[in-house]
Amino acid sequence: MLAILRGLTDNDNPPFINTLPARTRATSDDFKLMPLLKKCFNIKSRDFIRAGEATINVQNILKSMDYDSRLIRRVAICGYEGEMNVVMHGGDGSLCVEVDTDWLILEVSDDGPGIEDIELAMKAGYSTANDDYREMGFGAGMGLPNIKKNSDRLHIESGKGQGTVVRMFFFMPEGGKTP
Amino acid sequence: MSKKQLTTCYVRFDRNLCTGYGSCLRVCPTKAIRLKNKKAVRIVEQCIGCGACIRACRQGAISAATEGPRMLEKDHVAIALVSPVLYAQFPGVMPKDVLLGLRRMGFAHTIDMSYFLEIFQCATEEFITRNRKSRAAPWPLISPVCPVVVRLIAFRFPSLLPNVLPVLRPVALMAREVKSRLITEYTNKGKDVVLYYINPCPTKRDPVCLPARRRPVPMEIALGINDIYPELAKHVDQIQAADDIPFYQTRFEYETCATGNASMWAMSGGEIADMDIDKSLAVSGMQETISYLEKIEMGLFQDIEYIEFRTCREGCLGGVLTVIDKYLAKAAVQKMIKRFGLGRRLDRQNILRMYEKGEFQSDKKLTKLTSLFGASREALTIEAVQKIDKIMDLITGIDCTACGSPDCRTFAEDVVRGNAALKECLFVDTHSKKKS
Repeated sequence: MLAILRGLTDNDNPPFINTLPARTRATSDDFKLMPLLKKCFNIKSRDFIRAGEATINVQNILKSMDYDSRLIRRVAICGYEGEMNVVMHGGDGSLCVEVDTDWLILEVSDDGPGIEDIELAMKAGYSTANDDYREMGFGAGMGLPNIKKNSDRLHIESGKGQGTVVRMFFFMPEGGKTP
Repeated sequence: MSKKQLTTCYVRFDRNLCTGYGSCLRVCPTKAIRLKNKKAVRIVEQCIGCGACIRACRQGAISAATEGPRMLEKDHVAIALVSPVLYAQFPGVMPKDVLLGLRRMGFAHTIDMSYFLEIFQCATEEFITRNRKSRAAPWPLISPVCPVVVRLIAFRFPSLLPNVLPVLRPVALMAREVKSRLITEYTNKGKDVVLYYINPCPTKRDPVCLPARRRPVPMEIALGINDIYPELAKHVDQIQAADDIPFYQTRFEYETCATGNASMWAMSGGEIADMDIDKSLAVSGMQETISYLEKIEMGLFQDIEYIEFRTCREGCLGGVLTVIDKYLAKAAVQKMIKRFGLGRRLDRQNILRMYEKGEFQSDKKLTKLTSLFGASREALTIEAVQKIDKIMDLITGIDCTACGSPDCRTFAEDVVRGNAALKECLFVDTHSKKKS
């Protein structure tokens, strides 16, 4: 199972695909990679007080399964950045986690305005956050770059007015503890 | 449940006083308490010794696993290791009078902590300055002073263990110094020595709970401040009332001295107040500590260098074994700081020379810390998590604690692990009927 996914990561695809229409994209379903566990948590738009709770829930599940702590840390960072993106820019959305013994997928989706130019959004320091958010200490333009740094593979599906789906893949590090 | 499981290394339960009210269930940060037959039962390995249940119990059925002062009557040399919180319990009294009171109680030596707090401060500053260049440890560094925080991290946030500052805690420095100087002297003379830690909280492990071969030599016993307070207050009053106090000669400087710097440590923020660090924070309170640790785990606060965590509100003054109210104690400390002033007395160069030799390096291995709790909590498999979700659908999820578990998810986990039966839930039948 992991070999197929690893194969998927090793081909020459760019790290993010937004040119293909949604149906032809390779998803985990196409490879019959049904995860053993899938859980979703809602994220509410503009709710800064409760932002991060979905990530904490995901963390707690992974911790109860004694997942490798380095991996949990990376998942937590990516989950929080993804969640903050939804809270700041997107509409209501959800954070889903698909867990298997040696890999997991984190999927942040929302029905907000979408990302027009993904390549630009991936640039460190680029942000569309307004001054209000910057005053709160957000909007440094490090969200997506941070996710890219901390995940093993990243897919972003988005377009203007279509909402956004950010899918992050994580693989168990060599010698890591698996549930 | 056997009687043995009613005590942990840190806390004791009185079955006769327990009314099964269950207020201790919800406050436990590691969810270590269950009610069985309407009596509180604790899962021993998960207790981190924070004392939240002692505070929550209205019946007084839970007490710290500390010894009373009756231990002093035995035939041995008693050495008191004094936490600065003790001085804050006597507003308007000089620390040296409190220490004199302790010696009149029967302690042969009283060791004040200020000397070692200063060494710790120096070593921490040095570590942080070097870490700015080398980045051997990730920001933010977490203060190792509160042992409950370190245990909480090992239990709930293992990925943050590399953030814990690898410098020996002031108490460890103090114990090492006392062991190497004072105790060898007494053991050479063939006398028994017992170390008494005078603590504001139940974090010192009860030596009885360790296996016999791992018990510390000499004996180390924890005394709660509330255990010794009545007798000590009597002596302190006598000393205050006396016209002139005979000058009391002590062998080592750290037996009597106390500084403003040290008394400040009793408060939240006292640790970082006099340290030369650019960006530091002081957080106190269990809920606040947990939410900050969650945020650190999600990658926040990486621009901060050092965070001082205390799981008791207002710092160690708010410890569960203290006697006077934490805000009164805080006012007393602030008065004391005004009187003594801040400032250090030790030679920084000497400390740095010892730092070079690695004398303050904590030798605690990260793996050892995780294994403290790892064995007690078996990891859930993916199938088990799926089962838990199914059970969560059957039960209401209102966290009523009637089954004796702190919340519904913990109950579902217990069922899957085989520690509880599904029929213990009051709502499981009615709810599932309604659904079908």
